[in-house]
Amino acid sequence: MFINYGLQEINLKIVFYGPGLGGKTTNLEHIYKQLDPTVRGDLITLKTKEERTLYFDFLQLELGRVKGLKPRFNLYTVPGQVYYDYSRKIILKGVDGVVFVADSQKSRMGDNLDSLLDLEKNLIELGHSLEDFPWIIQYNKRDLPNLESIEMLQSKLNFFGAPYTEAAAVNGIGVIETLKKSITEVISKVNV
Amino acid sequence: MESSNKRNGAQLILSEDIYNGIAKILDELSANTRAETIVFCESNGYPVTYKGNVKNLDLPAISSLAANNFSATAQMASMIGEKGSFKFLFHEGKDKNIYLSNVGFSFVLMVIFDVSVALGIIRIYTKKSINDLVDLLKTAEEEDKQSKEFLDLEFKTLLGEELNRSLKI
Repeated sequence: MFINYGLQEINLKIVFYGPGLGGKTTNLEHIYKQLDPTVRGDLITLKTKEERTLYFDFLQLELGRVKGLKPRFNLYTVPGQVYYDYSRKIILKGVDGVVFVADSQKSRMGDNLDSLLDLEKNLIELGHSLEDFPWIIQYNKRDLPNLESIEMLQSKLNFFGAPYTEAAAVNGIGVIETLKKSITEVISKVNV
Repeated sequence: MESSNKRNGAQLILSEDIYNGIAKILDELSANTRAETIVFCESNGYPVTYKGNVKNLDLPAISSLAANNFSATAQMASMIGEKGSFKFLFHEGKDKNIYLSNVGFSFVLMVIFDVSVALGIIRIYTKKSINDLVDLLKTAEEEDKQSKEFLDLEFKTLLGEELNRSLKI
């Protein structure tokens, strides 16, 4: 969190984390498409030539003033592939909240778990832990066949009882709800 | 009283006095270098303030790219056994150049300038400004104003309402 009294701004950083091809960038693309340009900035994507996230995607939201302060939310995605660990660590620096985008397909449960453990490891290095950190889970790809049930996903992934949403980000379903829930979670746990 | 750029975990608070002091230093740098644009941003990519032309420039986006550019090269520095991060990064273009410098651990200074301006001029004056900025951020004291004044239950409730209003689709 960064408070700039000169500009009366409060800036918070929310990172979309999760396994590769889970829909993190798709979430940001839909936030960009669905929100009014007065609320959001440009979407910056740093991709490989195969259209995979190389470093990060970035989108800033700016809300109207609240008690004289202008809240700004910097949204980032991280690259999901295992070998981009350094990039994920860099993007997590200064994080205020996380949206863990889980792939609901049965075949991806192992990847979800690996990514969640990677998140916990990286948060611990920053002095946080999923146990008391503001984070939510988005169970994405609910439009596809061969899905795990929400009960199964909850029991395997949501061991600290974080808030969760269901989404089909590719169709824009559940994306804004996830964003709102994550901001609410971050703000409710801001401890100054 | 606490330090003006107090870092408590991920939290950084910048007072109005410090903000004005930064603006003054950037004014001097701008006058001395004829730089087209100067952006001072926090190391996580939040723009703090700027001088010069920002027309057609997405300030939050370029600040984020600058800060993460620095973070990436800090990792490279560590991999080759360099202690700390590199002091500056220079990006040379056909018409425009960018000179990025670390300011302490928490800020980045970005100077965008025309290729007709000598790099030496940018380096000399930027170095002076960085020293001034580091002194300012180190010695000045925070105004007796705490973030908890703002971030109370009322703030959280009002933000929830603003969220519903702004994120309507």
